[in-house]
Amino acid sequence: MADDTILDLDDARLTLDGNAGPVEILKGVSLSVKRGETVGLVGPSGSGKSSLLMVMGGLERATGGRVSALGHDLGAMGEDALARFRRTHMGVVFQSFHLIPTMTALENVATPLELAGRPDAFGHAASALDEMGLAHRRDHYPSEMSGGEQQRVALARAAAPRPGILLADEPTGNLDGPTGAAIMDLLFDLNARHGATLVLVTHAPDLAARCGRTIRLEDGRLAPDRQAAE
Amino acid sequence: MSAARRIAAREIRAGFRNGLRGFRVFLVCLALGIAAIAAVGSVREAITEGLTREGAALLGGDASVEFTYRSAEPAERAALDALGRVSEIVEFRSMVTVPRTEGEADRALTEVKGVDGDYPLYGDLVLDPPGPLGEALAGSPPGAAMDPVLADRLGLSAGDTFRLGTKTFRLAARIETEPDEAGGFDLGPRTLVRTADLDGAGLLEPGTIYETEYRIALLPGADLDAAEARLAAALPDTGYRWRDAREGAPGLQRFVDRLSAFLVLVGLAGLAVGGVGVASAVRAHMVDKTATVATLKTLGAEGRTIFAVFALQIGAVTVLALALGLLLGAALPLAAAPLLADRLPVPAAIGIYPAALGQAALYGTLAAALFTLWPLAKAQDIRAAALFREAGSLPPGLPRPAFLVATGALLAALVGAATLLSGIPLLTLYTAGGLLAAFAALLATAWGVRRLARRAARLPALRGRTAIRTALGSVGGPGGEAASVVLSLGLGLTVLAAIGQIEANLRSAIERDLPQVAPSYFMVDIQPDQIDAIRALTDDPEVESVEAAPMLRGILSEIDGRDATEVAGDHWVLRGDRGVTYSAEPPPDTTITAGEWWPPGYDGPNLISFAAEEAQELGLSLGDTLTLNILGRDIEGEIASFREVDFSTAGIGFVMAMNPAALQDAPHTWIATIYADEAAEARILRDVAERFPNVTAISVRDAIDRVSQILSGVAAAVTYGAAATLVTGAVVLVGAAAAGTRARVYEAAILKTVGASRATILASFALRWAILGLAAGLVAAVAGAAGAWGVTRFVMETDYVFAPASALAVIGGGIVLTLVAGLAFAWGPLAARPARILRARD
Repeated sequence: MADDTILDLDDARLTLDGNAGPVEILKGVSLSVKRGETVGLVGPSGSGKSSLLMVMGGLERATGGRVSALGHDLGAMGEDALARFRRTHMGVVFQSFHLIPTMTALENVATPLELAGRPDAFGHAASALDEMGLAHRRDHYPSEMSGGEQQRVALARAAAPRPGILLADEPTGNLDGPTGAAIMDLLFDLNARHGATLVLVTHAPDLAARCGRTIRLEDGRLAPDRQAAE
Repeated sequence: MSAARRIAAREIRAGFRNGLRGFRVFLVCLALGIAAIAAVGSVREAITEGLTREGAALLGGDASVEFTYRSAEPAERAALDALGRVSEIVEFRSMVTVPRTEGEADRALTEVKGVDGDYPLYGDLVLDPPGPLGEALAGSPPGAAMDPVLADRLGLSAGDTFRLGTKTFRLAARIETEPDEAGGFDLGPRTLVRTADLDGAGLLEPGTIYETEYRIALLPGADLDAAEARLAAALPDTGYRWRDAREGAPGLQRFVDRLSAFLVLVGLAGLAVGGVGVASAVRAHMVDKTATVATLKTLGAEGRTIFAVFALQIGAVTVLALALGLLLGAALPLAAAPLLADRLPVPAAIGIYPAALGQAALYGTLAAALFTLWPLAKAQDIRAAALFREAGSLPPGLPRPAFLVATGALLAALVGAATLLSGIPLLTLYTAGGLLAAFAALLATAWGVRRLARRAARLPALRGRTAIRTALGSVGGPGGEAASVVLSLGLGLTVLAAIGQIEANLRSAIERDLPQVAPSYFMVDIQPDQIDAIRALTDDPEVESVEAAPMLRGILSEIDGRDATEVAGDHWVLRGDRGVTYSAEPPPDTTITAGEWWPPGYDGPNLISFAAEEAQELGLSLGDTLTLNILGRDIEGEIASFREVDFSTAGIGFVMAMNPAALQDAPHTWIATIYADEAAEARILRDVAERFPNVTAISVRDAIDRVSQILSGVAAAVTYGAAATLVTGAVVLVGAAAAGTRARVYEAAILKTVGASRATILASFALRWAILGLAAGLVAAVAGAAGAWGVTRFVMETDYVFAPASALAVIGGGIVLTLVAGLAFAWGPLAARPARILRARD
């Protein structure tokens, strides 16, 4: 693994238990992502894109192969070690935003900073919200905001700790076209300004085209064209 | 079949296929509440039936006629004999004396029952060794049968001798079963002898307190009403008391009725607690069904169709809960029959009583309707647009006015039914009011706690303390569990707190307050020629004081020439006979509240001084004429004064006192209270008993112990009832904890995603439960204390003292219960993998 490799997957596999028996989601994925790179993960529904992203973030444990981030073997880390790793190195954005419903926008953004023990977590969180144009929404609960606003809060939450890796799972999937475009601008802007590595799951070809590299998944495997490109 | 019914049928089927998962708390809460009420009602019916069936045996005859402190005159006896076979019973208290060596003797209080050769007319007296009573009591010295407790206490075996008064008896047998013993309040265990053998014992002298009862086995085919009328015509104005087998043990029946009514009230409180669980379950169910409702609306269903669909579904579950509850309520007494038979003082006819079950079903149905109406009404306001939003709650605001009216009507029906059926209407209304007030206080507290938590979560001092902040955010934020947890736990704890406070007050009233002022001995049956010697006991340096008063027993039969019970109803002063005294001067430290005491040497028309509080309750005024039947003679007197009488000191207190000329020529005895050092009590008893064998000394300490014992039994019964409420509360709490699991799993998944460790998440969960438990416990302690104050002040009529230990136990219990319930459901959220949880929501 070269020094600037930030994510490295070697024959990563994921099998989950379903009602009708085990289901193979990832069937041996090997790839590496370099520092500062923007990678678009594309493929048909059910191809395993989101699962791959979750495995990269340590949110799902690979059932086979090896997954490492920043040189740490995620498979060897316990649940709490993974949580500690994410709080400093990773930001995750979801299609359904996943804000904590019982916290205001400001509290949601401040939470990972607090967990990381950052001084002035709330000051940083407020700045992050300001950057997203949400200064007037700091004290609002998620249920009081529009989908676009909620996603901007989620983005601020993911970016505020200045993580080395940003993982985004169809962040515009629940948003209308213009709102989604604005969110993507913000996301790429974050990547550009902070030099974070961005892995983006998307169905939209134009979004994928904005990424430095596109990886295609089909039925839990990397598509041949991509393997060829690699 | 209407569309609503068809859709409802599909919903019901789906619910059953799902194992009624969302309805388990609903089922348990409702079924438990109904079962508790049905079980209490069934036991009450069983006792009533047992008393009715065994009425004649308990009474000792088809009818019983009682003369106070005298036997029937020959003419009266003839009138009784004309009704059927008659058996004469004499009962009084006395001292059993067992002489030991060197003038020493052991003594114990006993309730002596003198019987004739016809006893018992009904039922079987079982003796140990077995044998006919006649044989046991025959011989010289005359035989006696004794309660085994008393025989053991005195170390008496068959053949040993003892004294009653001045006469010697031989213990012939121990009493295993006494058919006409209904377990009333007796200070002394039984000694059974032939009445004729009491001659010469000096115990049945004129004025002595004793009861003579004539039990009658009516002639075959005779009618009780006719017999009662016939005796009334034959013996007008003789002051006898008639009882018959239709109500064999009225005092016991009254006690059982009161206690079971109180337990039903506790059961209703349990149902209210369960109602919170029912409402939460239906609300959660309707939130789950938001998409279904929105889809149905999209497809053209009207609000009323939606209401009908889910009302039918909930109705089906209610029917199931009713069936389960009634089954359990009917089965419990049957299963516990052997245990109950041992504990109950009467033979209870345990069985299935439709009336008791019907009452429980009525309460259950009304409570189910009351608590499900609101969330059902709100569900029909769900809009089709809800499909496009994440639905976490029902639409805000109040339901439509028609539903508000219906809620009010259901509440009124439930309270009305309980008031009518409980037999203690005022206490029922107080309880209902108390529960509503507690409900309101808990809702207000939940609101307050949420506001406070929301503010506290934003305190700069808490920044950086993620566990505390997320806990406060969860309590204060939207969709939190504050209301359901505080309500469900708080209401159950309030009932427990109130009962705890009442019990503590009862105990302290008996154990702490009374002995400080109570005398050592209460001596009765002191003959007039002995009273000076008793008074002279004050010469003993260890005797602090002696109070004495003459005593006669009389029945207050008429007020201003009208039947007293017609004028003043069922007041305790009118129930049976009361002590009456006479005195030239008011007793020391007496406060006359109205009128005047008669002048010294007064010899005019009879005057009465009446206890002020009781006079007010009876509606008496100065100048009213009272008729007292004393020893079969009617004595009239005019009320000249009212005075304060404190019956709680265990000292001498008479409701009625008359001028000496009115009573002093009637045969009577004296009573005295002796205040002495505890260490000297045994010696004083020995001295008095040696010198005055006819005098009966009742140890006030023993009497208080006996009262405490009985009250402990009552308290235990009430505590069992309250435990059912707590179990319901715990089920509701567990339901609330379980219902919130999904939200917490989600929250934990997000927290893990942003880097929270499991310890941080667990600390946050624990803290939020502790906050809610503390809030519920605090309100319960305050509301319970308020309720207990009301009961102590207005029902028990004693001073209320806050019992901090009980309150602290309730608050601590609240915290522990919520923590246990909450943490029991913490494993799921802690163990869940964030990826799966979050993706399932996408």
